Amino acid sequence: MNVPTELRYTKTHEWVRLDKNGVATIGITDFAQEQLGDLTYVELPSVGDNVEAQNEVAVIESVKAAADIYAPVAGTIAEVNKKLEDQPELINSDPFGEGWIYKLRPDDPSEIDMLLDADAYEDMIPDAEE
Amino acid sequence: MNAWAVFFDAPLPYAAGVALQERLHAARLADAIPDTILFLEHTPVVTLGQRGRNDGVRASPARLQELGVELAQASRGGNVTFHGPGQCVLYPILKLGSHEADAHGYLHNLEEIAIRTAADFGVTAYRRAGKNGAWTDDGKIAAIGFRLKRWVTLHGMSFNVQVDLAGFDLIVPCGLAGEKVSSLARLLGARCPTVAQVRERLAVHFAAVCGRALEIFPPGAALPPALAGLLPAAVPRIGK
Repeated sequence: MNVPTELRYTKTHEWVRLDKNGVATIGITDFAQEQLGDLTYVELPSVGDNVEAQNEVAVIESVKAAADIYAPVAGTIAEVNKKLEDQPELINSDPFGEGWIYKLRPDDPSEIDMLLDADAYEDMIPDAEE
Repeated sequence: MNAWAVFFDAPLPYAAGVALQERLHAARLADAIPDTILFLEHTPVVTLGQRGRNDGVRASPARLQELGVELAQASRGGNVTFHGPGQCVLYPILKLGSHEADAHGYLHNLEEIAIRTAADFGVTAYRRAGKNGAWTDDGKIAAIGFRLKRWVTLHGMSFNVQVDLAGFDLIVPCGLAGEKVSSLARLLGARCPTVAQVRERLAVHFAAVCGRALEIFPPGAALPPALAGLLPAAVPRIGK
């Protein structure tokens, strides 16, 4: 399972990347997209919305599943990935890249450092080997 | 800790099933209960998926009412479906990602449970690319649609044992026009097992495929206190 080391993670399988401009980019992990199957629809948040940590901010749907996406920390929605409206499958094909979901300007960027690091997240998800 | 499986013999109205799942979901998130799977039947109901549109429903609201079929909106993924007595519904309330078997993908696992269960009764079921669920040469035998809230699952799968297939004529099942729906009764005739027999096999395969040993509570068995408190007396488990 692909778990990039430079990102932070949540227990609800979001990844977070804090950019130099103080804005965090958020998506779902490879593990998460695999659980959901081929995605068909993404309901994106509105830019400018203020969210608290753990708030539901988006809903993603696959052929058979619907799942909520949460805010990892409190902040303001800065941007959403409009491409997903027509190409939700980008989350499946490139979950850590083109499949990013939204950007958040955190109220306190230092909170991002308190999220799981790659090792901790990798320990949390199950191995496929049996 | 083992997962708990609760069996119901009395068909449950759809709304009661949803309310029960929501209570179990909250309890599971709080770790007040282990992973828990409900095995039940519903009274006749047509349900729409998340963002569900009405265009998958062929029958008018008046016609549904006349037939005693409810219409409900569900928060699960997937499209329109029908539930009724004679169909075994599985509602697993699972924390996904806590077992190795989860890495295979939950959707895949649910399909596998249906395929293995059908095989136990001599029916060959299989996956079809891009069309989730379990299929036979005569049509779809198990439908899947689930919801994840904080990575705990809601809704799940329905497996047609001897459900009145006319219920599916009221809709375009899963939004797939021209696709048929089947049941064990249609395929096996007089050799069709009971819902209770199918439920036993679904539970066995659930345990193996999802990697969770099950402690089963049959309809007459007392529930652990943590669970009994979530199940109002108004929700009977024993059929009349």
